[in-house]
Amino acid sequence: MARHLLLLLLPFLLAVSMPSHAAQKWGIDGEMTAQFEAKVVDMLCELSGDCPENCGGGKRQLGLLRDDGRLLMAVKSNTLFAGATLDLLPYCGGRVEVDGLIITHPSMVIYMLQKHRKPGAVDWIQATAFAKDWKKRNGTTDAKRWFRRDPHIGEVIGTYGKVGRPDLVPPPAE
Amino acid sequence: MSRFASFILAVFLVASAAMQSARAGQVERIRVEGELIDTWCYVTEIMYARGSAHYQCAVWCAVGGIPVSIRAEDGTLYVVLRVEADTQNVSNPSMVKIQSHKVTVDGDLIRRDGVNYLLVTQVADDDGVVDLTHEKFGIQPWGM
Repeated sequence: MARHLLLLLLPFLLAVSMPSHAAQKWGIDGEMTAQFEAKVVDMLCELSGDCPENCGGGKRQLGLLRDDGRLLMAVKSNTLFAGATLDLLPYCGGRVEVDGLIITHPSMVIYMLQKHRKPGAVDWIQATAFAKDWKKRNGTTDAKRWFRRDPHIGEVIGTYGKVGRPDLVPPPAE
Repeated sequence: MSRFASFILAVFLVASAAMQSARAGQVERIRVEGELIDTWCYVTEIMYARGSAHYQCAVWCAVGGIPVSIRAEDGTLYVVLRVEADTQNVSNPSMVKIQSHKVTVDGDLIRRDGVNYLLVTQVADDDGVVDLTHEKFGIQPWGM
């Protein structure tokens, strides 16, 4: 009886023992949800000593320097096809609490940022700063399929084609 | 200062210097020949992320600020953090244009926590898009 009760309660016990804001898995090989505090650093500054003001003001890749000294590059945010620089920039040189995925591949380890907050803060912030910035830059109210509407991308694909070779015609989409 | 205190201080200074050196990583001058790739799609393997099939998506990701890497022919990845004097490594217009190109570069390699970071000192060659994977894989990703 006690055993059956324990089995019935197991899902509930697991649910309450998990962090309430666990990152969303993507089903990627080598992924692991990871919520932790770290210092936000400009990757180039951390690795080479070339350190402009404000971590490059959005023009440089940012990383998470963990308390054990390990450095993780924040490669991706929660906006489709967009990085995490603008999400982490407000924390430049300071500490942040992040929630996302550590992805370990044979060639390298990266971090996908899903949410962030100042340590001690209650509310999480979704890592969608690129989309917000894109809307502002392009004077529009939504960033749906921003990659299909971006003028810079339109110019590059218009010049070089979808396969990067204007002399080649790609196959029709299925 | 006693001899013992001097010894302890010397050990501390040597250990600090060694730790600093380990953190910064050793710099090694190398030549890399390989393809410019989008780091996210390649590492996660969420789609086929090499050659002409992935050119358009690589442009999207580079404009979106995802780091660009060079995949050497042996499969080693090098994250590009600088190209000559240009230190913009987020959405750099000159990098966007050459996605999926086969390039040969010289640069300073810094290894840190299992990742190869490359500060390119010279682009020696650019062969353009030569891996015509779209013939087999179409345009990636489908449905976007």
